[in-house]
Amino acid sequence: MITLTHFLIVGACLFSIGLYAVMARRNAIMVLVGIELMINAAVLNLVAFGRYDSEHYGGQAFALFAIVLAAASVAVALAIILNVYRHYKTINPEDINHLKD
Amino acid sequence: MESELLSTPQDFVPILIQLIVAAGFGVGTIIITHLIGPKVRTENKLGAFESGVEVIGNARQPFSIKYFIVAILFVIFDIEVIFMYPWAVNFREFGLSGLIEMFVFMGLLLLGFIYIIKRKALEWD
Amino acid sequence: MSAIITLSLLAILVLYLGLFKARRALLPVSLLGLVATVVLYGVQWGKTAEPLYSGMVLFDHFAVVFSVVCVILTILVLLLSKDYFDKSSPHVAEYYALLLFSLTGAVLVVSFHNLAMLFIGIEIMSVALYILAGIRKKDFASNEAALKYFLMGAYSTGFLLFGIALLYGASGSFDLAAIKEYVVSNPQGISPLFYAGILLLIVSLAFKLGAAPFHFWTPDVYDGSPILITIFMATVVKTAAIAGFLRLFYFCFIPLQDFWVPVLLVMTIITLFVGNLTAIVQQSVKRMLAYSSISHAGYLLFAIVAIGATSANSVLFYVTAYSLSTIIGFGSLILVKRATGSEHFEAFNGLAKKNPYLSLAIAIAMLSLAGIPLTAGFVGKFMMFSGVLADYQVLLVVLAVINAAMGIFYYFRVIVAMYFKPLDRDAIVVSGPYRVVFFLAALITLLLGVYPAWLTGLI
Repeated sequence: MITLTHFLIVGACLFSIGLYAVMARRNAIMVLVGIELMINAAVLNLVAFGRYDSEHYGGQAFALFAIVLAAASVAVALAIILNVYRHYKTINPEDINHLKD
Repeated sequence: MESELLSTPQDFVPILIQLIVAAGFGVGTIIITHLIGPKVRTENKLGAFESGVEVIGNARQPFSIKYFIVAILFVIFDIEVIFMYPWAVNFREFGLSGLIEMFVFMGLLLLGFIYIIKRKALEWD
Repeated sequence: MSAIITLSLLAILVLYLGLFKARRALLPVSLLGLVATVVLYGVQWGKTAEPLYSGMVLFDHFAVVFSVVCVILTILVLLLSKDYFDKSSPHVAEYYALLLFSLTGAVLVVSFHNLAMLFIGIEIMSVALYILAGIRKKDFASNEAALKYFLMGAYSTGFLLFGIALLYGASGSFDLAAIKEYVVSNPQGISPLFYAGILLLIVSLAFKLGAAPFHFWTPDVYDGSPILITIFMATVVKTAAIAGFLRLFYFCFIPLQDFWVPVLLVMTIITLFVGNLTAIVQQSVKRMLAYSSISHAGYLLFAIVAIGATSANSVLFYVTAYSLSTIIGFGSLILVKRATGSEHFEAFNGLAKKNPYLSLAIAIAMLSLAGIPLTAGFVGKFMMFSGVLADYQVLLVVLAVINAAMGIFYYFRVIVAMYFKPLDRDAIVVSGPYRVVFFLAALITLLLGVYPAWLTGLI
């Protein structure tokens, strides 16, 4: 039997993998991938919970908005990363540290 | 927990079948062409195909930023279609007001598109 | 609702004005549109508020007041931008349009009645700001600020979304009324998912607010962004973040106070100390103001720690006082930087002799930020402290008073530099719009300090 718990476990795993990718901070693109994983973990949870909300399908509708907004912010992110690369010649967040105390 | 809401592994069999067919088709065609296809190894055959034009340099080099802008703009407009699926499924129940609301949405998207064209973001040079 | 529609259409209109080379019309049109928005809100005032659009937004007094504050702050920011952006790029319309889009998001965040609107509002507000932070495409600092802001902002969006998913899983709805119903009707049987969701939402909103331990992006981003964008982030975005935070917790989570108040209490104390201790050692006024904005986020969190009927009023008062002073602080920094090329405390040396009025306005702003009586900042701090005292959190108030003392130290460095460090310098030219903004902000700061009742009874 595949119950809600299984979906939640997969969601939690995805979220944690994403969290790790963001924390490791080796490459801005990897951080972006990590963020996408976190968002998709949430989307998976939303859809799984949405099964119990058969009146409004709120979870599924929310998932659509989450996907669209994630795509929009990724578009902006890639543009920013590209612009950063042009100046710093690197996209490693650790090396981009002109601003500090 | 209601029993009708539980998914059993059997519910996922169609997805599994589709996965197998999709992967199998790709892997299968590659293997079969290798096995039964004629083996011709000339320079032209092994080189990259660029619509008959002479190959210039390596393909793995930085490409024009224009491609990036077009690709990103495509993704943004493409993803908006997602909102039309649920709308299309419930088209009849929404009635006229639903139609008008979708036209407003499309109109706003169109405004964005006109803006992009006017700003010449889609021109190559 | 008409106000939100006006705002978003205004942003598109401004974008198109830029296309058709109507550069001179940009600022007047934006300002007119914003004034019209304020009027539309004014018309809504006092009517019984019903959740609109299947319960998506609710324009109660709370929403209207905070929206008007956001819009008015944006008007002030736009006035300062008169000739600020022209120097950096030919495409000025996009700056205005993005600021207006970001404002639309902020207004959604303060008037949501459904978690979907909270999410969409925060995203609209933030995505526009990611671009604005990096709007100086050739500037290293601006690029770096944009990257850092984006990475941290998107990260917090992940938390927000996951938190909302968990709340939805436990309560079965995104509607604030339904979630409240769930909390009230199952006092014992609240799912652990719900608690996890609350924690994730605290993390993500603390990110947006810039509260420790999720504050580390704030100084770099505030420092690297163009000063005008920093003003917008430090005022409008902070207002929207704290108002959204308070709205969510006030509507839904009050019965679970015992669970989340200790968490927020610890965060508040860390935020106060981190903000103030690091602000003391700064040499640059911009970074000092950035760190001090972290400590102000700490004071703002007081209202949520002592959540109750008066929280909204104290947040409103505090955020108004803080924002007005911040506008003067950063706005004068624009002028000083333009004249001297430096953002250090020394750049303010001897300013009082040549620009007495400008110095007076800066002094009022610094006094208000430090919380000296007869300024709005004092009343704001007083309301926050008394709210917490009523909850018997004496320790918190003692720590906060220590922090307020630290704050006085570094705010006074600016005043000391202006008035007591003589330096032969040229007078700074203060253009018309800057005079208007500084005068208005200083005047309101003083008036609110003397007659606080004007603002305290609104919500």
